[in-house]
Amino acid sequence: MRTRDLTGDSTQVVRVPTTERPRVNQKTKMKVRDLEVWYGEKQALHGVSMDVAENEVTALIGPSGCGKSTFLRCLNRMNDLIPDVRIKGEVEFENQNIYAPEVDVVELRSHIGMVFQKPNPFPKSIYDNIAYAPKILGQVRKRTDMEDLVEHSLKRAGLWEEVKDRLQMPGLSLSGGQQQRLCIARAIAVSPSVLLMDEPCSALDPVATATVEQLIDELKENYTIVIVTHNLQQAARVAGYTAFFHLGNIVEYSDTDSLFTHPREKKTEDYITGRYG
Amino acid sequence: MSQGITLSPSRQLKKRYRAEKRFKAYCIGALVLAMAFLVLFFTDMIRQGYSAFVQTEIEVEVTYNEDTVKFTNESVREEVSPLISRAFYRTIPRRVDANPELMGTTETRWLTATAHVDQYRKGYSDRLDPELKATLDRLDSEGRVSYGFNSGLFFSGDSKIPSNAGLWSAFVGSFYVMIVVLLVSFPIGVATAIYLEEFAPDNRFTQGIEININNLAAVPSILFGLLGLAIFINFFGVPRSSALAGGLTLSLMTLPVIIISTRAALKAVPQNIRQGAQAVGASRWQAIRDHVLPLSLPGILTGTIIGIAQAMGETAPLLLIGMIAYIPDAPTSMTEAATVLPAQIFTWSGMPEGAYVSLTAAGILVLLSLLITLNATAVILRNRFERRW
Amino acid sequence: METSQILLVFFGGLVPMAAVAFALGRRKALLSDAAGSRMHSLPAQYGVYVATWMALPALAIGIVAASAALLGLQVPSAPFVLSFALFGAAVGLMIALRKVEPTLRARNAIEKFVYWTLFAASLVSILTTFGIIISILFEALKFFSQVSVWDFVTGTNWSPVATFRPGQQAADSQFGSVPLFAGTFMITLVAMSVAIPVGLLSAIYMSEYASYRVRTLAKPMLEILAGIPTVVYGFFAAITVSPLVVEVANFFGLHASYTNALAPGLVMGIMIIPFISSLSDDVINSIPNSLREGAYALGATKSETIKQIILPAAFPGIMAAALLGVSRALGETMIVVMAAGLRPNLTWNPLEDMTTVTVRIVDALTGDQAFDSPETLAAFALGLVLFVVTLTLNLISIIVIRKFRQSYE
Ligand SMILES: Nc1ncnc2c1ncn2[C@@H]1O[C@H](COP(=O)(O)OP(=O)(O)OP(=O)(O)O)[C@@H](O)[C@H]1O
Ligand SMILES: [Mg+2]
Repeated sequence: MRTRDLTGDSTQVVRVPTTERPRVNQKTKMKVRDLEVWYGEKQALHGVSMDVAENEVTALIGPSGCGKSTFLRCLNRMNDLIPDVRIKGEVEFENQNIYAPEVDVVELRSHIGMVFQKPNPFPKSIYDNIAYAPKILGQVRKRTDMEDLVEHSLKRAGLWEEVKDRLQMPGLSLSGGQQQRLCIARAIAVSPSVLLMDEPCSALDPVATATVEQLIDELKENYTIVIVTHNLQQAARVAGYTAFFHLGNIVEYSDTDSLFTHPREKKTEDYITGRYG
Repeated sequence: MSQGITLSPSRQLKKRYRAEKRFKAYCIGALVLAMAFLVLFFTDMIRQGYSAFVQTEIEVEVTYNEDTVKFTNESVREEVSPLISRAFYRTIPRRVDANPELMGTTETRWLTATAHVDQYRKGYSDRLDPELKATLDRLDSEGRVSYGFNSGLFFSGDSKIPSNAGLWSAFVGSFYVMIVVLLVSFPIGVATAIYLEEFAPDNRFTQGIEININNLAAVPSILFGLLGLAIFINFFGVPRSSALAGGLTLSLMTLPVIIISTRAALKAVPQNIRQGAQAVGASRWQAIRDHVLPLSLPGILTGTIIGIAQAMGETAPLLLIGMIAYIPDAPTSMTEAATVLPAQIFTWSGMPEGAYVSLTAAGILVLLSLLITLNATAVILRNRFERRW
Repeated sequence: METSQILLVFFGGLVPMAAVAFALGRRKALLSDAAGSRMHSLPAQYGVYVATWMALPALAIGIVAASAALLGLQVPSAPFVLSFALFGAAVGLMIALRKVEPTLRARNAIEKFVYWTLFAASLVSILTTFGIIISILFEALKFFSQVSVWDFVTGTNWSPVATFRPGQQAADSQFGSVPLFAGTFMITLVAMSVAIPVGLLSAIYMSEYASYRVRTLAKPMLEILAGIPTVVYGFFAAITVSPLVVEVANFFGLHASYTNALAPGLVMGIMIIPFISSLSDDVINSIPNSLREGAYALGATKSETIKQIILPAAFPGIMAAALLGVSRALGETMIVVMAAGLRPNLTWNPLEDMTTVTVRIVDALTGDQAFDSPETLAAFALGLVLFVVTLTLNLISIIVIRKFRQSYE
């Protein structure tokens, strides 16, 4: 372990040049450039740039309030829903800036799904929770197709065996871990190409967490996943790349192994070794 | 796998957006409709009622002598006499009694015209005798006819002569009734709320009280009238039509309003205030009396004012306990027969003469301005003093 | 003696005596404190303790005597009662004063007294409900002892004419309440078909679409609508809306009565709009935002989210609001008294005149019938039905709302 520089002030914000693309040979799914976000007068992101690799899991870590959720919610414009929010910069997805005026948010969100910190199943049956979006998006019209899709999504989410006999039960009757997997199944039912997850395991016990982590690992075959987590082991376990956020900036962004074993920045090291408040 | 994703709306999405637009339009339409009702209602009331705030007055010479004191309508010139409200002639003997020096003199005065003349001048009815019309027009051209502020609307009691009818007895009656409501429902309501919010154990009985209060808030008001009639009047012998009977009945209706808002105000005071006070040795009651109540006072007063305003507009239960009596003179005690503003409005709305229509609308405008003032006070109180934790 | 005089003497005596009792209790506590014994409570608390024990017997005697007098029982003369009350006060004072000792927990005693006072206050609301039930039930039972419940519930002819005479029971009177309930139902139906859509959609607009500014403007406006007294709505219905309905009906070649059921129904609907909208607004706002975000994140539009996620989730609450609205409409009195007819009329046509339960209650009890004339008693029977129906609706909606609140807390 390196010695700590006692003269350095660790609270001072230093704009470090971030590695926008950790590895050259990886295909990029989303490109974020100079993203700045204000909530009213308060600036939450100070010009963040980052490339998200395709079919990989990218983890966002950092102390509470550093802007991880804010960043994540900018990727599918969930932040548009908050009054008094101002967003500057570009987020490129499929060669289009998603903040360009001709982009339609509703369309965008059907391609970039999201799973939230607290499981939020709709107050409908398990079946309807999953069938809801494909139905309104007009993706599936036939009943049998829909049944297949529901089964497929539940299987992908590793929930099928537990609920296959009670698809008409309310989604809220499931346990917390099951609810979260239901929400994941719901999100992948519309086959988005990117899946954003904001602390998906924070409300779950270790067993349910392990199930979800395994699921994430399987999903990365077909999906690009960006996950916010406070659990550093989790980031190490599931993510190929990790970004460390601090006070609205990316301090360090690289493949997970090097970030955890050879952090280049002192702040990163302090954080991952638990010396940060 | 996701080649060719475009982020502009697809055909299918455009269709969904049309549904979106339609739905939003329905919602806006509903709100606009509700607002339109409000506007329509107020313009209608103002249109009907504004004219009652002024009255036609005619300048005439009044002669006081032995004859005119007896045959009072001879005190003015014969042709003008039928234009003047009967209410004036009645006052002559009293006036001469009070001022004996008037005897044998003539004075020029502006007198209130009859309702017929007034309605004709205001363009509501054309049913005025042609001869009278001619006289009126002549006086008008001489500048002896004009509109004056109808102070009688505020300062005289009810009357069978429309030009003389006013709201004074109703004001006094409403005032008495509100005093009773305040005296009864405020202490009991606040005490109940304190009990339920601060002391009551969470058991079946308490839940029963709570449900009962919520139900009382929704019981049709007329049933409170039946209660007032059967219990206060027939059983306890409170005088019928009295402000006391009305006030007691309305108190029971106001009680749930005060309880519910007081509970909300108490609930808004954070728990740590109570704990803080108790931590320095105050008892539960002392903590409530010295810390919680002062902090929740604005909320409690706001709720009370709103409850009072509601009671002030209530009519149905009062009909059953006889508060639609004809009350020309303001009551002087709680046990005398009285009327209240909404009941007076109801009585006037049932009068056959056309002049009462504008009087009713004017009464409504007065009542509404009182209620709006009360409610605005409540809102200001809330915004001014309410603390956000 | 006059009532007011008695009261004057009673309280005129009691208040100074309480002050004296307070001073005595406090002084005794102060003295024994000075003498070196540590008192449990503050001196003033002993004062309050003594004053309370002095006032209570006097008040109790006064209240018992007053209620007995109101009930028409034989009561001793006022001076006697007054002196008896004073005597009670003196005894209370003596006992309480003697009990002022260092070990007496005056503060706890006061608190206990406060607790029971508050508890007693909370019983008033229960008594009110009992009062309503009793006052209606007795007269209604008298009515049903003379008219069969079956005839009342199923009869289609309401014409109370004759008076009850011994031996000749209501021969010519007909108390079939169906037309009254039909009229009530029709007007309620009209009212709710205005109030529910308009109220609910405005609530949706205000909670989901409107900007902060529109909301702060529209909400008070709706509250004004809610604050308008019913007598005013009644006048509006009778003087403006009814003639309007007649004219519009004429325009379409229909005939409408001037006391048609449509006008009071429409106006009642307007009256109930703010009621529905503010309750629905609360309910919609209590749906957690995470549900909305969940739907948006799947690519749902706003109206899809509202219609398919928010409204179903809020359904129990909205349902409860609608039931409360119906309960209001059923019991609304002034609008129908002023704008609906008096003639019991069994019809489906809202352009005809119809009468309602509340109209007949008012009509029966404001006329000059004797208090136990059949029509008066019938009014209480109608009141009983109204009470039972609205109570059921209120209870269902109160319980549904409670459950709903709990599930989203
Ligand atoms: N809706 C909002 N309105 C105002 N400020 C906000 C809002 N949401 C977030 N913020 C502020 O923006 C900053 C970044 O918040 P963000 O939620 O992105 O942090 P985070 O890294 O996700 O924290 P956590 O780990 O606690 O979830 C914080 O200072 C927060 O207070
Ligand atoms: Mg977060």
